[in-house]
Amino acid sequence: MAGEVTIPVAYVRGTSWFHKLHPIPKLIWAIGALVLAFSTRNPLFLSCFFLFGFLLIILAGILNNYLKVLLILLPISLSFIVLQSLAPAFPRPWISIAELGPFTIYQEGIYSGISLFLRCLAAVNFASLMILTTHPSDLFTALNRIGMPHHANFMVSTSLQLIPIVQREFIIIMSAQRSRGMKATGFSAAIPCIVPVFAGTIERIQQLSLSLASRAFGSKGLKTNIREIEASLKDYVAGIIGLGFTIAGTWYLIYYRVQLDWSEDALLPIWLSKALVVGSALIFIGTILHFWRKAKG
Amino acid sequence: MTKEIIQIENLTYQYAHTDKPALVDINLSINKGEYLAIIGPCGAGKTSLALSLNGIVPHMTVGEMRGKVLVDGIDTTQTQVRDLAHIVGMVFDNPEYQLSQSTVLSEMAIGLENIGIPRDEMLKRIVVALEIVGLSGLEERSPLALSGGQQQRLAIAAALSMYPKVLVLDEPTSNLDPMGKEEVFAVTARLNQEKQMTVVIVEHEVEVIASYADRVIVLDKGQIVNSGNVNDIFSDIDSLDGIGVRSPQVTAIASGLEKKGYHFENLPVTLDGADATFSDWLKQGKALA
Amino acid sequence: MSNIIECINLSHVYPEGFTAIKGINLKVKEGEVVAILGQNGSGKTTLVKHFNGLLKPTNGTVSINGIDTAKQTVFNLSRYAGYVFQNPNHQLFATSVLAELEFGPKNQGLANDEIEARVKETADFFQLHSIINEHPLRLSFPLRKIVAMASIFAMQPSIFILDEPTTGQDHGGAEKIRKFLRKLQDDEKTVILVTHDMPLVAEIADRVIAMWSSEIISTANPREFFFDLKTMEKTKLQQPQATALSHRLQKRVLNEGITLTVQETIKALEKVVNP
Repeated sequence: MAGEVTIPVAYVRGTSWFHKLHPIPKLIWAIGALVLAFSTRNPLFLSCFFLFGFLLIILAGILNNYLKVLLILLPISLSFIVLQSLAPAFPRPWISIAELGPFTIYQEGIYSGISLFLRCLAAVNFASLMILTTHPSDLFTALNRIGMPHHANFMVSTSLQLIPIVQREFIIIMSAQRSRGMKATGFSAAIPCIVPVFAGTIERIQQLSLSLASRAFGSKGLKTNIREIEASLKDYVAGIIGLGFTIAGTWYLIYYRVQLDWSEDALLPIWLSKALVVGSALIFIGTILHFWRKAKG
Repeated sequence: MTKEIIQIENLTYQYAHTDKPALVDINLSINKGEYLAIIGPCGAGKTSLALSLNGIVPHMTVGEMRGKVLVDGIDTTQTQVRDLAHIVGMVFDNPEYQLSQSTVLSEMAIGLENIGIPRDEMLKRIVVALEIVGLSGLEERSPLALSGGQQQRLAIAAALSMYPKVLVLDEPTSNLDPMGKEEVFAVTARLNQEKQMTVVIVEHEVEVIASYADRVIVLDKGQIVNSGNVNDIFSDIDSLDGIGVRSPQVTAIASGLEKKGYHFENLPVTLDGADATFSDWLKQGKALA
Repeated sequence: MSNIIECINLSHVYPEGFTAIKGINLKVKEGEVVAILGQNGSGKTTLVKHFNGLLKPTNGTVSINGIDTAKQTVFNLSRYAGYVFQNPNHQLFATSVLAELEFGPKNQGLANDEIEARVKETADFFQLHSIINEHPLRLSFPLRKIVAMASIFAMQPSIFILDEPTTGQDHGGAEKIRKFLRKLQDDEKTVILVTHDMPLVAEIADRVIAMWSSEIISTANPREFFFDLKTMEKTKLQQPQATALSHRLQKRVLNEGITLTVQETIKALEKVVNP
């Protein structure tokens, strides 16, 4: 069948400690990880942080699913190295260390690129840890308990269901239009395929809203939940630890940011810098081509 | 204690931007425990009528309504659809379009969560409803992985879990294969016969309706043009044909023979009935009008 | 009459490992109307998707008009086999019925005057002139189905593959579709009908192919098929009511063969009392 590109980021069933952890502490850890990762550019810290997250992923038993996510995000993150090296998002002056054809590779660029790459991966690690071990319904049920509206839960779970449905419809419609002699590529393929998907999705949503109204959707008053989320002591402890680490860690990273700035000191050999930039570019372009060809079918 | 669960008085409804009303002066009483079938050609107003039974018409449509629909004594124009949900359950023609959750269990829970049923009670009701429709044990299955017939039965179960007094089904089998059709009809019959549920069903499968329905109403151009039991309705084969509605094939056969000069006391409407009628008729030999 | 479709030991296993059809041997003659029956999941849709190249065999061969489909694109095969999908909403996208009818011929790269001729012929055949400028999505469901059929007709394939043409219709709509199917039959087009409308099958099919659990379990003409109660029970299909009646009466009173339609039954019954 022509190009099935499904999104591999979804809840994975399991019984690890992380699966059993309450959604709120997990959310705290995920957000905390984001804050920490973006508080510094220090490659050592970021690498360790990344590895720490990686270790937790292995412990949670979600390595395979995580690797699928990584497969998509890794090449895209590598593009940062390429782009940053050639045009650093860093205050001038820049130290140029090598020439690559018409382009100049800058020291700060490499540093910035590598740290952005590591930041991205570290954040992804903890985000994946949360997303892959938490059922969206549980997360929103937990949020509902602390005041978030009931509808948000429903909207998320319904949207998640819609994604595979719309993908499936798209494939059917492409088959239907190809049967009418439509060539499967190019702009001429866009309208005959997109209009029916759109129209079908709208009709589906209209019907769904009638069905839901017929099941009392929009009722005022107390809502109950079929999923049970109870917080126990260890959940509170985990949440507090997460919060503590984030606050302490962020303070440390900002207080010592000058000492942690290794942009002048960490000098890579020229051949390595060039190899890094060229290699990243090739992997990035290669990935784009691969997905493009796969989508063509 | 009246025996009517639904009373429709002088109902007229016209959708916005149309030049003709969809429903014209409908007067209808539906009794508790009745199995009522609504038939008629495409565009006759069957869906509009069905949707007026739980307030979708007029609250979720754009148009003008005159007249009254009373459901268990409650005026639908004064009550929101969500507040009628526990009285009238509604099942639509496309099974998949009614489903939105990732498991059968969470799909079943939506309605109950909305009306604030406690969790223990929820689980009880879900088990009961799934058992009635024959989907017990499939709680963790993804609704998208179910067959069309199973999906439609799930939609019925989801409506049943609200413990409604009336179940309204708008062409529930039109998108199903023969097995799915049979499953859904069997569930409606079971609900009506074993649980005394009032069933209102819009359908084209006249052969099946002839076996199950207590009463049939015929709609054409927004009006009720005939109402009666299955024998009376389907025997009037020429008027039905005139508005584009089939009668069961066995009825058409008997009617065809009548036109050739033969006589039948009553035109059969079911296979068993036809078997008996024609067996007698053939044994008696010629029976001229 | 040549074989316009030929399947030799055809199997299709989906990437996930699911065997949808296996060991299919099938020959369809030009001009035949063949009904493919079976419950959803029996493999019938998978089978017919091989006839216009949407699916390629994972084992065995499929030939359309003598051409092996394995290396052919859907585009090339669309010249010979047109596929009308079950849901017209999956195919209708343009702003007018006219544009829908033009879509296929345009894709085929025909000259403008040829396209115009095709559109006119199609509009004549399906009586679409009064709605030629209407937006397809504003039409009723039966009309949309007819427009979808017409848009495939405009490509003038010799094989028509129709997926559930009468499903989801009221009697009037279904009757319109039946009329056009009879016309196609009269024009000696090859029609592959995937359907569970048994009265339609009884009325129009030359041959019935019944599928169960990824295999063909019966190939027969409709009269033989509806008489074969064992196969009907296995595939959970039902005889048309007229046929069921004649079958019951036949055992006890009729002594004629079973009938397929209301008209046939009337004649058969009359013959008994008025020989």
